[in-house]
Amino acid sequence: MVKSRRNEIVAAYALMAPFIVVYGVVFVYPSVKMFELGFTDAPLIGAGAWVGFKNFWRLQSDRLFWTAVWNTLYFVLLSVVPSTLAGLAIAIAINRLKGWMQSATLAAFFLPYILPVSVVYRIWSWMFDKDFGVAQYAIVPFTGGEHVSVFRTLPLFMPAVAFVTVWWLIGFNVLLFIAGLRNISSEIYEASALDGAGRWTQFRRITWPLIWPVTALVLTIQLILQLKIFDQVYLFAANVRTDATMVMVQYILKQGFQMNRGGLAAAASMVLFVLIVVLSVLQFQMLRARGQR
Amino acid sequence: MSATAQSVDSPAAVGARGLSRLRHLDLIGLVITVATLALAVVWAFPLYWGLVTTFKPEYEIVRPGVQLWPEHFTFENYIHVLLRTKIGLWYLNSLITSGAVTVIVVVMAAAAGYAISQLEFHGRRFFWWMILASFMVPIPSVTVNHFILMSQFHWINSLPGVIAPQLIAPVTVIIYKQFFDSVPRDFREAAVIDGASELQLLFRIYLPMNWGITTAVAIITFIGAWNLFLWPFVAVNTEDKMNITVGITQVHDAFGVSYGRDLATAMLAALPVAIVYLIFQRRVTQAIMLSAGIKG
Amino acid sequence: MSAPPKNGNGAEPHVELKRVTKRYGAVTAISDLSLAVDKGSFTALLGPSGCGKSTLLRMIAGLEVITAGQCFIDSIDVTDVPPAQRRIAMVFQSYALYPHMTVRQNIAFSLSVAGAPRKTQEDRTREVARILQLEPYLDRRPAELSGGQRQRVAIGRALVRKPEVFLFDEPLSNLDAKLRVQMRLELAKLHADLVTTMIYVTHDQTEAMTLADKIVVLDKGTISQVGSPLELYNRPANKFVAAFIGSPSMNFFGVDVAPADDGVANVVLPGGRTARARLRGKSAIAAPVELGVRPEHLALVDPNDPASAFRGAIRIVERLGNATLLYVDTPAGQLIVQGEGNLEAKPGQGVGLTLSESDVHLFGASGASL
Repeated sequence: MVKSRRNEIVAAYALMAPFIVVYGVVFVYPSVKMFELGFTDAPLIGAGAWVGFKNFWRLQSDRLFWTAVWNTLYFVLLSVVPSTLAGLAIAIAINRLKGWMQSATLAAFFLPYILPVSVVYRIWSWMFDKDFGVAQYAIVPFTGGEHVSVFRTLPLFMPAVAFVTVWWLIGFNVLLFIAGLRNISSEIYEASALDGAGRWTQFRRITWPLIWPVTALVLTIQLILQLKIFDQVYLFAANVRTDATMVMVQYILKQGFQMNRGGLAAAASMVLFVLIVVLSVLQFQMLRARGQR
Repeated sequence: MSATAQSVDSPAAVGARGLSRLRHLDLIGLVITVATLALAVVWAFPLYWGLVTTFKPEYEIVRPGVQLWPEHFTFENYIHVLLRTKIGLWYLNSLITSGAVTVIVVVMAAAAGYAISQLEFHGRRFFWWMILASFMVPIPSVTVNHFILMSQFHWINSLPGVIAPQLIAPVTVIIYKQFFDSVPRDFREAAVIDGASELQLLFRIYLPMNWGITTAVAIITFIGAWNLFLWPFVAVNTEDKMNITVGITQVHDAFGVSYGRDLATAMLAALPVAIVYLIFQRRVTQAIMLSAGIKG
Repeated sequence: MSAPPKNGNGAEPHVELKRVTKRYGAVTAISDLSLAVDKGSFTALLGPSGCGKSTLLRMIAGLEVITAGQCFIDSIDVTDVPPAQRRIAMVFQSYALYPHMTVRQNIAFSLSVAGAPRKTQEDRTREVARILQLEPYLDRRPAELSGGQRQRVAIGRALVRKPEVFLFDEPLSNLDAKLRVQMRLELAKLHADLVTTMIYVTHDQTEAMTLADKIVVLDKGTISQVGSPLELYNRPANKFVAAFIGSPSMNFFGVDVAPADDGVANVVLPGGRTARARLRGKSAIAAPVELGVRPEHLALVDPNDPASAFRGAIRIVERLGNATLLYVDTPAGQLIVQGEGNLEAKPGQGVGLTLSESDVHLFGASGASL
């Protein structure tokens, strides 16, 4: 098109300017600062001196840091795969239904997803409440009549939080899977039924391979999401005076805000960043290889 | 009536076998359907349970046994919360911050997405790569640095301070850019011949062609901002500046533990987003699909 | 700036492309092409897909950058002028109607963009709607309109701008056959009423023939011939134009040409018979030569007539009602012959064909007419 280059450039920069300014100030600058700060001994507010890799040595010798790393990975283990598989199963189940039944069940599974974390926290701390929580009725048979304060019982804490997280976020996975399932033409199933394939065979030979791209996507999104976990863990552990359930983001915040160690917090942030990048790239490669098989 | 014996392979026999097989399959199908419905009920139960508890007086709540419907239906928990806590202020804060984030993000992202999609200028590719790269950096990692930055602006414990870091929205820009890319070239050419400037093109042609996308993006941004916990939690330290998601976790009743009231505050916090979802279900679904498509 | 060349009647051309070249990277679509369009004329750019006709139109519109050369509108060099300032309007093949606006808003858009007063917008819109019979549809959206109605809205949008030049990019190709005929008529009427310069791109030779004062036939980025419809029909300058214009298309077969004798050549036809063909130009005869004859210029005679050019047998008979097409196997291959609507003919029937010396065309090795 013949255009006035000047007008075009003026328009372009005028349109881009707000985004560039905000993005630069609120994202690029802090991100760069994070990388820089990690190599200094700065407090939260104020400058510090360059200390090279000293912060990283401090991290790796800090038992609390490793606790946080382990807890984060443990949480990921407990939540990513189960929520993905459960999401797929529920999506398949919902996809079979029609009309009001489908809308109603979809709403039931999806509604928790749009709730704020604090609401989810309140609902489930009430469900699990030691004295009056309705979940105790399910627990009591296993403990011989004794009520359990689930979130104060260390071995139960992470599994319980993972369970609540799955309940909360499953809607997202279900939605993606339903969209993927709808892309599989029903004729394939009809043809296989004529060939005598039963439900399980259909799942194994048709559904699972064809939905694999969506499965891989969901796994990746969940992995990246759960590595950044903070809200639920913090809230459920708020009344428990222990650092044993700390996760990485918590550790970062503690170092930064509580211990006033800006540099150390930044260093821990960098570790988290690298962890996320490495794990997601690894997972991506692994899933892609499997998908091509 | 003929006395012909029916052999095993006669059509009638095959038909009868098929029918029983059909019924057999249907039975499993029925079981699965019932199981699905049952699971949905169980899944939704905590929501129901939390909700119904808020309408019970405290003495009923702490009674042993499971009461699925209040014996004495009451609004007293809500009344207390609405009158005696700062929940009104938190609503306001949430409304202001979420609204501001939504408006700013949508306008910014539409403009930037349009420029990257339709215009040629130096640095276009660079900005695009920068946006794509920003996926890799997890926002929680930058929380500390956000705090440092906001304190440099003297925006700690203020609404602008809560709003600013939420304006990072690469996904929204990408959604808009892809949408603008998909508009056939003809419309642009026709409008250019008609004399439209770039701004007129954006606001009178491209955006209005599909308000659905803008609505979807706006709703999902609003819900995300409303529900945000981490940053508003870090950035604010007095009750009067909290948003509602943070507020309801920070206040402990001076009168001791009150399940009814705690849950009532939670229900009030959830109400706006639940309503938005129920009204705009399709848009919410659409927005999630769009942003998931980007991450894939 | 040198004075632009004048055409036959002394007036300067309204739109002119001077030695334009269009390159897309390493590919040259159009090379050193010059074209002049007279004011008030209806000029068709005709050719098969890929010949560059749309590219030319878009260069005139300013939607494509001219790599080399110049474009003049009303003697003003508009080569670097953006489309909005060229006083042109364009009707797109897909109509490009803004889907979220009503017909009224679509038509008024350019006025609204320019900030024209409300009254002006309303008046002009109403006037255009009246001309195009769109009044009942003013408040509908494009999605609620039929193809023909949408087409008229597209024309209306162009009309309201009172441009100097109308550009049409294959506007009828998305319509069904009946509608196409109807719209053709309306376009002809429009041109007669407005007498504005119209440049019309099409691949359909019928549209070009019926609508245009002047047809520019394009072949792979170059002009094959420029002329009025009848000129192109009766005196094609080369084989490409001869084959492209006319439906059903001209028959071609190779011949041997004996030395010319005062403007008429002796031609040896396949099958051994001879015929005479009038030479149009003075150029030397370059073998191999092809002879072209239109289906309606082949006459049926008794198969045993010794003066006939060919003896053949009818393969297929197509009855159109107003004409009959015969596909006849002859020594020159299968020839199409056009006859009367109620011609008596049967497949398998033996026939003789004759041609007259003034109704045949000879084409030399390069394709140019002899």
